[in-house]
Amino acid sequence: MRVPRRRRWAVAVPMAALALATVYPLVFTANVAMKSRRDYILDRFSPADSLRWDNIATAWTSVGLGRYFVNSVIVVASAVALLLLIGSMAGFALSHLRFRGSRALFLCFLAALFVPFQVVMVPLAQVMADTGLIDTYPGLVLAYVAQFLPFSIFLMTSYYSGIPREIVDAARVDGNTLYGVYRRIMLPIGRPALLSVGILNALFCWNDVLISLLMMPSAEHRTLMVGVTSLRGQYSDDIPTFAAGVLIAALPVLVIYLFFQRQIADGITAGATKG
Amino acid sequence: MLVGGAQPTAGRPGAERTGRTKTPWRAQGASAGTGSPRAFGAQRAERLAPYVLVAPAVLVVATLRLWPLLLGVNYSFTGDGARDGTSVGLDNYAELVDDPLFRTALGNVGLLVLLLPVAVAIPGMLATFLFLRVPGHRLFRSVYFFPAVLSPVIVGAIFNLLLAYDGPLNSLLEKAGIGAVDWLGDPDVTMFTVVGVHIWATFGMALVVFLAGFSTLDTTLLDAARVDGASLARVIRHVIVPGLSRTIQFVFVTTMIGMLTSMFGLLYVMTSGGPEGSTYLPEYYIWIQQGQLNRPALASAASTVLFLIMLVVGLVQIGLLRRAGREH
Repeated sequence: MRVPRRRRWAVAVPMAALALATVYPLVFTANVAMKSRRDYILDRFSPADSLRWDNIATAWTSVGLGRYFVNSVIVVASAVALLLLIGSMAGFALSHLRFRGSRALFLCFLAALFVPFQVVMVPLAQVMADTGLIDTYPGLVLAYVAQFLPFSIFLMTSYYSGIPREIVDAARVDGNTLYGVYRRIMLPIGRPALLSVGILNALFCWNDVLISLLMMPSAEHRTLMVGVTSLRGQYSDDIPTFAAGVLIAALPVLVIYLFFQRQIADGITAGATKG
Repeated sequence: MLVGGAQPTAGRPGAERTGRTKTPWRAQGASAGTGSPRAFGAQRAERLAPYVLVAPAVLVVATLRLWPLLLGVNYSFTGDGARDGTSVGLDNYAELVDDPLFRTALGNVGLLVLLLPVAVAIPGMLATFLFLRVPGHRLFRSVYFFPAVLSPVIVGAIFNLLLAYDGPLNSLLEKAGIGAVDWLGDPDVTMFTVVGVHIWATFGMALVVFLAGFSTLDTTLLDAARVDGASLARVIRHVIVPGLSRTIQFVFVTTMIGMLTSMFGLLYVMTSGGPEGSTYLPEYYIWIQQGQLNRPALASAASTVLFLIMLVVGLVQIGLLRRAGREH
């Protein structure tokens, strides 16, 4: 089934226009980031005359985004590592090991998936303050793990459910304990799902602003996204530096997208086709 | 290795490749019955293994998701400030009902519900055309999906630039003779601006879900429709929509959840709830009460209301699924 030839172009042209409208704001921002303040005020749309990196350098150093960038990388890497470990362990147990309460447990995790952060954020901040974890990296990492774990468990469980029982049985016949099966069979075999889950979680954590705002009140602990929001007031009259900050925050996402677009889409649609 | 003593080969990576015969696991378990305490320990370790594997997940979800949920509902019936910790009944909820900002927030939720069909129809139509292999469909798909992976902070910051009153879009509009629009300063316009930006940023997500649904569609039906000479509109109505009913429902629910819970970044960066409080949503209200005004109990009451809204969305979804299940 295809659109009739004559009408295909009638559809393709508006869709191309929409694609341009999707890309243009990003191109515009990148272009502004390469301009001097003077050039921006004179003409916002003209292409930058050369690739000037001074705005990026200013945003990175004197604005302090470099430091926030490092904060974000540390937090995101720790959170993703924990999510993959805990999520795959639980996914293996819930998909292949029958134990008392496993079904109810899975439903609990599924229910937790539908509890948005906004609903638990007030008491969570209280719990974190009571335990001294507020404004610490472990606290923020834990908050991210708690937020995205149900999703990770769900995806890992549904992926592992597709692995035939025989593989697990054979591994046990070969003398592996369950921990051995997890480490030597389930982890390597789960690589595609782990990649999807890891990349999605990395994006979720990297892009987050609410959890980070709540958990990290002090300025030197800011993550990159919170850092970018703080640019708004400070640099409202220096648009090119502001745009450079936005570009710094968007670039890692763009790189990940270019390499892992399929895994991202797979992870998002896994919930739709199996849920 | 926890149980290495009972199973000498288990701990050695690469032992599988040496090709030596191994005692089957079950047989080993049986031989453990000879009473060796280490073997008995190994057996117990095996029995406990599933619980050990799920324990970290249970711990995290129970203490940091489910327990706070209960705690929050409990908070919502206590007071703030001087009345901290004392039971105040439904006072917080009464205060919410009286607060014009919260009423605006709920009104905006209503607006989101009204705009929901648009937010679902746009990616649905685009996915249909991509599925029907419009020229360039691969490229379009990649491009449309990209904003969906960007942080609302980045999206909001970019549109702050573009939509500023003295910004580029207005200068274009003025050149075209239409005149400037105060996208982020007019209380009657701003909520629509923010929702529009949200749809721009997220329609790729729904698009990808739709495309996954299309890949499960029965193509023989489509071919039959084509042989019969059915028009595109008829094919969409009688083949595609019924075939994708589950996907469409899924997109409706996830889009609604997205609108209710992932617009904070946009609101925070683009409007801060303004102008004149016109762009408040429950999630932003919760943040302001908790983070800025130090009213955790009131914020908890608002959280509970948001949770109830989400629950209704979820129950409606289950109801629709049940009905769809009966029809097929």
